[in-house]
Amino acid sequence: MTRAYGRFLTAFFCLFLGGLLAWHVFLPDRARSETENRTLTQRPEFSWSALASGSFTADVEDYFADQFPLRDGWTGLKARAEQLLGKREFNGVYLCGDTLIAKVDPPLENLEKKNLAHVARLAERTEIPVYLGLIPSAAEIWREKLPAGAESWDQSSFIAQGAALDGVKPVDLLGALSAHAGEDIFYRTDHHWTTLGAYYGYAALMEALGRGGETPDRGDFSPETLSDKFDGTLYSQSGVHWLLPDTMEAWVKEDGLSLTSWRSGAPEEAPLYERSFLERKDKYSAFLGGNQPLCVLRNETGTGRLLLIRDSYADALAPFLALHFQEVHLLDLRYYRGSAAAYAAESGVDGIVVLQSVPNFITDRNLGLLSQ
Amino acid sequence: MIFSSLTFLFAYLPLTLAVYFLSPLRFRNAVLLLVSLVFYGWGEPVYISIMVLSTLIDYTHGLLVEKYRDNDKRARWFVGQSVVFNLALLGFFKYWDFLALNLSALPGVNLPRLGLPLPIGISFFTFQTMSYTIDVYRRQAPVQRNLVSFGAYVTMFPQLIAGPIVQYKTVAAELQNRVSTVEDFALGARRFTAGLAKKVLLANSIGALWDTQLAAWAAGTLTAAGGWLGILAFGFQIYFDFSGYSDMAIGIGRMLGFRFPENFDHPYLSASVTEFWRRWHISLTGWFREYLYIPLGGSRRGTVKTLRNILIVWLCTGFWHGASWNFLLWGLYFAAWLVLEKYVLREALKRTPAWVKHLYTLAVVFTGWGIFAMEDLAVCGGYFSVCFGGRKLWSAADGYTLRSYSLTFLILILASTTLGQRLWRSLPRRAEQVLTPVLMGLGLVLCTAYLVDGSYNPFLYFRF
Repeated sequence: MTRAYGRFLTAFFCLFLGGLLAWHVFLPDRARSETENRTLTQRPEFSWSALASGSFTADVEDYFADQFPLRDGWTGLKARAEQLLGKREFNGVYLCGDTLIAKVDPPLENLEKKNLAHVARLAERTEIPVYLGLIPSAAEIWREKLPAGAESWDQSSFIAQGAALDGVKPVDLLGALSAHAGEDIFYRTDHHWTTLGAYYGYAALMEALGRGGETPDRGDFSPETLSDKFDGTLYSQSGVHWLLPDTMEAWVKEDGLSLTSWRSGAPEEAPLYERSFLERKDKYSAFLGGNQPLCVLRNETGTGRLLLIRDSYADALAPFLALHFQEVHLLDLRYYRGSAAAYAAESGVDGIVVLQSVPNFITDRNLGLLSQ
Repeated sequence: MIFSSLTFLFAYLPLTLAVYFLSPLRFRNAVLLLVSLVFYGWGEPVYISIMVLSTLIDYTHGLLVEKYRDNDKRARWFVGQSVVFNLALLGFFKYWDFLALNLSALPGVNLPRLGLPLPIGISFFTFQTMSYTIDVYRRQAPVQRNLVSFGAYVTMFPQLIAGPIVQYKTVAAELQNRVSTVEDFALGARRFTAGLAKKVLLANSIGALWDTQLAAWAAGTLTAAGGWLGILAFGFQIYFDFSGYSDMAIGIGRMLGFRFPENFDHPYLSASVTEFWRRWHISLTGWFREYLYIPLGGSRRGTVKTLRNILIVWLCTGFWHGASWNFLLWGLYFAAWLVLEKYVLREALKRTPAWVKHLYTLAVVFTGWGIFAMEDLAVCGGYFSVCFGGRKLWSAADGYTLRSYSLTFLILILASTTLGQRLWRSLPRRAEQVLTPVLMGLGLVLCTAYLVDGSYNPFLYFRF
């Protein structure tokens, strides 16, 4: 090796490491990452006690990684490299042609059985009819799209267990979605169902509630495109950034419907579609304004009151229900932290529907609140 | 701190190199000592005290051994003290809980378990400092009178946490007086990048497969084919993890002006188990040979003593890898194969075709990795019973695994051979000059992408 060439390689190596360090230092820190949908670690405060306990250095590592320049770009590059190596799974997400499907892992600590028991106990405790709607995820409905031999936990047999629960009336969402598996019922880059999928879910729920006759035909709606640039959660999780974005639709018109939201802790009027989210990464939150402990949809011309114990899948479905019910209460036990049975009694509903996607239901540790 | 983390690569390393090379030559050992203490204290700041204590004690013992050079009895006494201190340090932090757990099974014994976190690199630096006092006594190394220089040796961050185990005598001269040329730096940077790529791109990727297969065993879905795929994955993971780490250590050492010994020499190309252990973790086997096997009498005092010595050395080697029964079993397993090769198979192996010998060696070594990988002997037994046909032989999931990892396996196999090296050497100079920065750049960019993507993956040898 000549001296000049040695200098060149040395400079090359040092510029790469030092250059990224300088970039990191001069790049303004970001408060949150839209892609990852979380707040990013900020520069840690130094203290001798934090140093001694080791928490300071741990925070520095988190800060350094979270604020690293071009974070999203590096993740995308890794996914491309993995694809070249023949991988089909990217951070727990399968790439299936033009569609991303989240793998469902087996539940831990028998949580799925415990949660079914919580639902059964709720039905014992209350006179109000209790319905269980377990929404299969794309990994089940589109199982044949998964790479050959790729594993995903068997949701169908679990849903069958749920349907056999004593004192609880099942909602056949598996059957409803399976019947339309050929249609775009799930987003390609997000784990939620599309408004079309939610429509089939709503029809099945109306059927179970004994009001199936009221469900309008698909053709009676005139869908409005909310966004055609929706890159969902699976886009972020997988690092697969090269798929076409999804299109989001609103089917139900807001006329005559109102929404009271407890997003900020106190009740406030809110639009059915929070369009400001459409300008951001987290576009799905445009439906009812996203995650919140409680919200109530009202329709003066509707009849009956319904309580949904729900996760975010209900955001797309609830507007359909508002076409028929005077009040639809949506309770999310991840944020509400109170007794669902007590809430049902106070609000005078005539039906309780536990409506959750299977991946959420089998990992949810808050369902003990159902029967308290 | 581990080398394959963003903080090390893009903050610690550039800053350290800058401070080191901006300092005048006579302060460089002091700088090295300080930055090494920062490196060491990064994970567990309180453990810097162990490092300081260890440095002071071994420094003093080196001086005492030198002082009583003429009084052999006292000199030996101080060597003994140093060895006992180092073994006690290692024993307390690494083996106490294991001993307490097992001894408490005896009636009337009840020892508390402490659950202390293991000070990183303790298995490595205690062995290094033991070699120092012993070598001073044996007159194989000069005594170090400068505390800063000695401290720089003990705490030196490149090989501190995962080796190679650098004996004092191999770097004694460089500690006093070393030249750092720009050519050395460039070669070191190249070596470091290669090691980083081995660790981040190869070891971590295939390590994910081992985790999957182990989880499949726990879930009851593992098949025989899947079981062996898992063991294959672990064998590749540990090789590329560990040798990649050694490459990074050797590379950083070279940048700073040190020549560390090589630690691996294509072990998976070995044609016998004996040869494998000459090519795998060379600095550890060398250490045990020099400071345990030969002092015990080696193979020169008759068959019975030789067998005893092999058994002792391999039980120690196994136990050095971790405080758990499976590591002892693993050491015993290799002792058995080595004895078998020495006394029984020797003639037969001479007549065996080369490819059979290679296959035999790989089978023995990879089966050994299975024992190594599963600390819980019940898990280990269960896993192996599946491997040998206790459940289904094959499932659709194995096909998926193979399709997902076939290219990775191909790369791992080729990277375990000397093919790359030979191709590289046959390149015309010009091509080599162009390709070096291209490959280094690609390696660094891809490693950064993988590190940013995953929260970084802790190095396997941390536990040891």
